[in-house]
Amino acid sequence: MIRNYFKIAIRNLWKHKAFSFINIFGLSVGMTACFLIFLYVNFELSYDNFHLKEDRIYRVVADIKTPTETINGNGPSWAVPPHISDFPEVSATVRVLSDVILFKKDNLTFNETESLWADADFFTVFDYKLLKGNPLTVLKEPFSIVLSESSAKKYFGDDDPIGQVIQITDDAFPSTVTGIMEDIPVNSQIQGDVVISMTTITKKFAEGVDNQWGNYGPFAYLLLKPGTNVEGLESKFPAFLEKWSGKEMNKTQMFPTLMLEPLKDVYLKSDRGGFVTGNIKNVYVFSIVAMLILLIACINFVNLTTARSSERAKEVGIRKVVGAAKFQLARQFIGESVLISLIAFLLTLIVSSLLLPSFNQLAGKTISQGIFDTPLYTLLLFLTAIGIGLLAGIYPALILSSFKPTTVLKGRFSTGTKGSFLRKSLVISQFTISIALIIGTIVVYSQMSYMGNLDLGFKKDQILVVDTNSDKNRDILKQAISDLSNIKNVSLSSSVPGTGNPSAYSEIENIKGDLQVANLDLYFVDFDYISLFDIQLVAGRPFSREFKTDNTQAMVLNEAAVKMFGYSSPEQAIGKRFKQWGREGKIIGVIKDFHFQSLKNPIKPLSMRIEADRHDYLSINVPSSNLASTIVTVEKEWKKIIPNKPFSYYFLDEFFSRQYKSEEQFGKLFLNFALLAIFLSCLGLLGLASYTTMQRTKEIGIRKVMGASVSSILNLLSRDFLKLVVISFFVATPVSWYFMQKWLMDFAYRTNIGWWVFVVAGVIAILIALITVSFQALKAAIANPIKSLKTE
Amino acid sequence: MLLEIKDLFKWVNSGGNRIFLLNDIELTINEGDFISIMGPSGSGKTTLLNIIGMLDDFNEGEYNFLNEPVHTLKEKYRANLYKEYIGFVFQSYHLIDELTVYENIETPLLYKNYKSSERKSLVADMLDRFNIVGKKDLFPSQLSGGQQQIVGIARALISNPKLILADEPTGNLNSKQGEEIMNLFKELNDEGVTIIQVTHSEKNATYGSKIINLLDGRVV
Repeated sequence: MIRNYFKIAIRNLWKHKAFSFINIFGLSVGMTACFLIFLYVNFELSYDNFHLKEDRIYRVVADIKTPTETINGNGPSWAVPPHISDFPEVSATVRVLSDVILFKKDNLTFNETESLWADADFFTVFDYKLLKGNPLTVLKEPFSIVLSESSAKKYFGDDDPIGQVIQITDDAFPSTVTGIMEDIPVNSQIQGDVVISMTTITKKFAEGVDNQWGNYGPFAYLLLKPGTNVEGLESKFPAFLEKWSGKEMNKTQMFPTLMLEPLKDVYLKSDRGGFVTGNIKNVYVFSIVAMLILLIACINFVNLTTARSSERAKEVGIRKVVGAAKFQLARQFIGESVLISLIAFLLTLIVSSLLLPSFNQLAGKTISQGIFDTPLYTLLLFLTAIGIGLLAGIYPALILSSFKPTTVLKGRFSTGTKGSFLRKSLVISQFTISIALIIGTIVVYSQMSYMGNLDLGFKKDQILVVDTNSDKNRDILKQAISDLSNIKNVSLSSSVPGTGNPSAYSEIENIKGDLQVANLDLYFVDFDYISLFDIQLVAGRPFSREFKTDNTQAMVLNEAAVKMFGYSSPEQAIGKRFKQWGREGKIIGVIKDFHFQSLKNPIKPLSMRIEADRHDYLSINVPSSNLASTIVTVEKEWKKIIPNKPFSYYFLDEFFSRQYKSEEQFGKLFLNFALLAIFLSCLGLLGLASYTTMQRTKEIGIRKVMGASVSSILNLLSRDFLKLVVISFFVATPVSWYFMQKWLMDFAYRTNIGWWVFVVAGVIAILIALITVSFQALKAAIANPIKSLKTE
Repeated sequence: MLLEIKDLFKWVNSGGNRIFLLNDIELTINEGDFISIMGPSGSGKTTLLNIIGMLDDFNEGEYNFLNEPVHTLKEKYRANLYKEYIGFVFQSYHLIDELTVYENIETPLLYKNYKSSERKSLVADMLDRFNIVGKKDLFPSQLSGGQQQIVGIARALISNPKLILADEPTGNLNSKQGEEIMNLFKELNDEGVTIIQVTHSEKNATYGSKIINLLDGRVV
């Protein structure tokens, strides 16, 4: 019997190739999307789950309250971790600081962009596997280095690195390799290729830092004893801080609150930053989208199968007459749908493994090497396929197996309106999903283009930025490059827009004449900075070489800062006093607000000063012509002046928009899924349209004999489907408006969702649906009526 | 006695009026009969045949098949009864298009849970008997109408029924093919199979031993 069913199923699939194609293809596309998203979501959820003591590890963060604002997401003071160990609940603490450090071994020089400084317990708290070396001691002594397997290979090839010496930092401190670790897994929130002992900093570079309560340092991780009451521990922190640093806090007006974040929540849920961060929202959004796409594919399946039921009606009648029971027929049809979903399963495996590399690229990381890496996932997909087959098969099977043989064998049998309500609702849900996704895509992209086109308040084109890594020869380099014939302007600074910048405890004279304490964002610039970036001056004067005092005693504020101190016009602020990081002097100028940070944030109060020691980035205004050769000449100068460091550069506009990388990725994924959803919906519509058209052949024939024109028949056949799309549009509009409005709230500077967005989405959906349907309708409308009536 | 119908009524309600499809039918059929039901279109021939075949219900009256009261039986028992004793032959053959000749004939056995080896030998016998061994792997669309009807009859006979119900079995065939089919029925009847056929053709009716004429749902 099974063999008989199987044969019938295969022959049916083969006979109705178009339908089978739509069913199998649609289902496998849906399943592929779902599977890939599953891999992505699963990967995101897997962060840090390889640490055996994961449940007991917490990250310490400090939110710092200043007189003007609360700064979220700092590491605690350098002094906190060493002292917090005194709590009986804490069994170990590790500070981890990421850095870019120059490594030199013989004639090999690398700028290790993923370097970590870490306390001695790094390898006992976390489960990064040491291949060589003792986890208890590798990071104990200053100038100890643990290399990852791949970086060890880079420096030492096949030789044993243990005990070998590498020179680190610009000053080439000899350091000893004490251990080799396995490369840190991708799903770790802490990323690094080399780990250097924290004692190098705390005992050599910055002795005494372990007792500095006002110096905020790296993130710290605590290993708590089993059974610790975390909230109880947190509640002891204020007294702890008061005891050690009460005076310091009052002096600087910076009041930190220490909080503990469970390690497993840091990557996805913390908004306090970190080494690598994920976004739980994306995980939710994509899980939902995956489900919706799978739903669309399943709806196609159910719709097409029930719509086609009249075709199978005769077979049902015959089988019943020769003795088939209802359950036997139901079993047969469910079996067929499971067969289809299993074929789709095989196809999904093939397509997923082909798409995986580009999906990894889309996701921006290797979420999976190969889909068969984890057999469990393949098994899960297999079970899902069977589940889909069963679920999607049950309804059509029930409909089909309940046909009465006397009715279906009498002659032509029409499913008529039976189940058409369900089919219509299913089509509406498909198009609602599709239209909502289209609207989402348009909003995401219009926000991206809004941000791209917004006047940022500074010149971002044709500016080449070279990271000097604060090399001591940077001033010589600047001089050399400004001497090049085709270079217009060069400037050194601590930050350029998009790099991030320090913020400083500052005291500024306010409108009342008091020194008001504030936490100001801070740019260290040089005399050429304001003119190079074409930042508008609204009052006073820019930094000038003609004033000797500008080197130490001058400050430029932006409008936001001026407003904060109570001045109604920028001119009033000129000549007022400031104190900041050990310097004091006068405010000499006010600049127009410019977007030095992402457009997600409002423009914050900013101060600029000249402080040559703090410079890092070299900005070069290059001519638009002969760009390539200009870069080559700049690189030549670099090699002459800073020969031991690799030359790295980028263009400011690209760099600035890199801040929106995750949004861009989000938009791209959204676009892909919207396309997929509309494609699948149309696939289903195509099948359904061709089917109803086929069913109405007789009606069309009669109408044509009565004198109906081709266009009136086209109208007749398309109208029903268009109605459904229009209904979907009205369902999708408010829903997507609500969610996209919410999404836009993440941006301080955001576009409005204009009515045109909905119109465009609606028109796109209707057009696509119309094309899909009329393709079939036209075929029926121009057919010769004699033919269609004769077959009746 | 094979079956007995007493005071049987079947009606439909249409716009408040009761329209009788079958009106006070009395019928007794013995094993070995060859009955022809005749009458103009709409006289209720097919409805009667479907009721006899237990594919359709009726509103009033009694129907006893092999002394089982069909009208009181539950659906499941009724299905078992007709599965066991009744075979159907249709005007438009009603073969499953996706199955070969062999598989079409085999289908009833599948629903009776015959073993594979039994099925093989039964189907082989049937193919042999109707001289269609050479066509066993063809699909219905590859056969002529007469050949398709022979397959239909073979399928009806495979489970060795006591009664064959044929609804205008020659209606779609030309006269020569029709004659062949009628001769086949005659042979089967001679072997002891009871046959009830619905027909329009006086000539075909003469093959039977008894004619029942229907008009507007009544036996006349």
